[in-house]
Amino acid sequence: MNKLIQDWGMIAEIQWVIFIILSILVFSSTAWFIWNRLKPGNLPKELQVRTRSWWVMCACFIVTTVAHPLVTHLGLAFLSFALLREMYPLLKLDSRERNVVMICYAVIPVQYTLAYLGMTTLFLAFIPVFMFVLIPFMLVTRGETEGIVRSISLMPYSLVAWVYGMSHLALLFQLPEIPGFKAGPQGLLLYLIFLVGINDVLQFAWGKTLGQHAVLPRVSPNKTWEGLIGGVLSTTLIAVALRFLTPLEPWQAALTGFCVAVAGFMGDAIASGIKRDIGIKNSGNAIPGHGGYLDRLDGFSAAAAPFFHLIYFFGVTAAS
Amino acid sequence: MPKDRIDSKLFQAHVPNGRRWLLWLLYKVFWRTVFGLVIGLRYVRNAKPHPDGPIIYIANHNSHLDAMSLMTIVPSHRIHLTHSVAAQDFFGTSGFRKWSMQNLVNAVLISRTKDGRDVDPIELLDAMLNEGHSLILFPEGTRGVPGLMADFKRGVGHLASRNPGVPVVPVYLDGLYRNLPKGRTMIVPFGGTLVMGDALHFEGESINEITEITQKAIEKMAYELERENQLPRSKNASR
Repeated sequence: MNKLIQDWGMIAEIQWVIFIILSILVFSSTAWFIWNRLKPGNLPKELQVRTRSWWVMCACFIVTTVAHPLVTHLGLAFLSFALLREMYPLLKLDSRERNVVMICYAVIPVQYTLAYLGMTTLFLAFIPVFMFVLIPFMLVTRGETEGIVRSISLMPYSLVAWVYGMSHLALLFQLPEIPGFKAGPQGLLLYLIFLVGINDVLQFAWGKTLGQHAVLPRVSPNKTWEGLIGGVLSTTLIAVALRFLTPLEPWQAALTGFCVAVAGFMGDAIASGIKRDIGIKNSGNAIPGHGGYLDRLDGFSAAAAPFFHLIYFFGVTAAS
Repeated sequence: MPKDRIDSKLFQAHVPNGRRWLLWLLYKVFWRTVFGLVIGLRYVRNAKPHPDGPIIYIANHNSHLDAMSLMTIVPSHRIHLTHSVAAQDFFGTSGFRKWSMQNLVNAVLISRTKDGRDVDPIELLDAMLNEGHSLILFPEGTRGVPGLMADFKRGVGHLASRNPGVPVVPVYLDGLYRNLPKGRTMIVPFGGTLVMGDALHFEGESINEITEITQKAIEKMAYELERENQLPRSKNASR
């Protein structure tokens, strides 16, 4: 079996992280099963549903990550698309803004194609420079200015947060060769997925067990200082432990893990604020137990661009 | 017109095998993928198994996508036996429209006005149910105002009271009109929800009662869906 995997070309580090992810899933599923046997009806149903969803999400993430880079690009592009599609119906757009929405959707394939072709400069400029002017202009050309500030702010924001941010993960495939670093872009991708996922789980777990003082009581009552600090510290430790997936030194990995955890929390809080203004609890129902794509991926897309730049700085700029 | 004169040719009871495969590929593969991945339609179904045999599906109507989405929830083995009921005066105007409605949508075209028709639509649809076919009805009769439900026409009452054994499955479609509004041709993905309710069985209710019950059923589903995702009011969360 091991021979087969090596012939197929899977790197040892990636096998290890997949093994760790599956062990955590098997452990938690078994734990809920035993808990249910010992004290039937005592276990919150939400935990089981959430764990089942984690199984599906991890399977999708792992398969798309270890597959051909083209599949990874397509998968990430689909996630960006799913995020935009989930948000736009909630914004109560005018029906004449449909054309602009279509342009926003069309930005996604362009952005990921630029990443796939390695046109890095244009990739970095396309959304924040060109689309930042074009989309407000398209909104103005329909001749209706009432309520335009809302669309002008939200449409470019959605593109930067969920397309530009997320597409930095595709840009990991364009990193130059780093001496002594074997796990490659797929290892880095799994590293970030693991950190953001475990950060969410740990903040949830610390918050549920110890949580007393809310961080942002008016925005998101479930986020507590205890959960935040506990989650960030444990994620930092895990980031150091999983350092074999990255070209980083221990202190660099700790800083990266810290930034990913904090950025994930910030993305989560921003999305909560937007959802609260619209007056909804979850942005959708695509993932049972978690809500919509946005509820799950808000931290992920916020952490993606900082993660890429940290890896680039530590692995390429500072190393040379 | 007496029932025995409505022959099978009139509504093509014997669907050719080729069209059966075409419909399966179109709805269970192509449209299911489009609705699932591109449009992002969320399917909410009741836990009970889909009833077998002839069924009357009824739904609110705001977009051309409505009939497509309903065809995707029909079980595979009955897809060629399920017909959307469409307006002759809108879809029967050109040869191409008529051909595609019959072959690609598996629709049956009926006349909405009394003058100039040679067969009573109720008789025709009743005969189809007797032959074991299912029907997709939009009792509002027209796509109407986006997001608002009009009063139901009595067609569903007529059909259900004549066929007491046939279950009526209410379906509530939310938000599909945003993907393809009336008068537009470009589909822009905006998501939506399809709620399939429990099958209703009628024994001896009057036509008006059935019409009212079915309309209430869909209005209730709409109300429950709206309530489902609202923010809970708590003292911390008050704005």
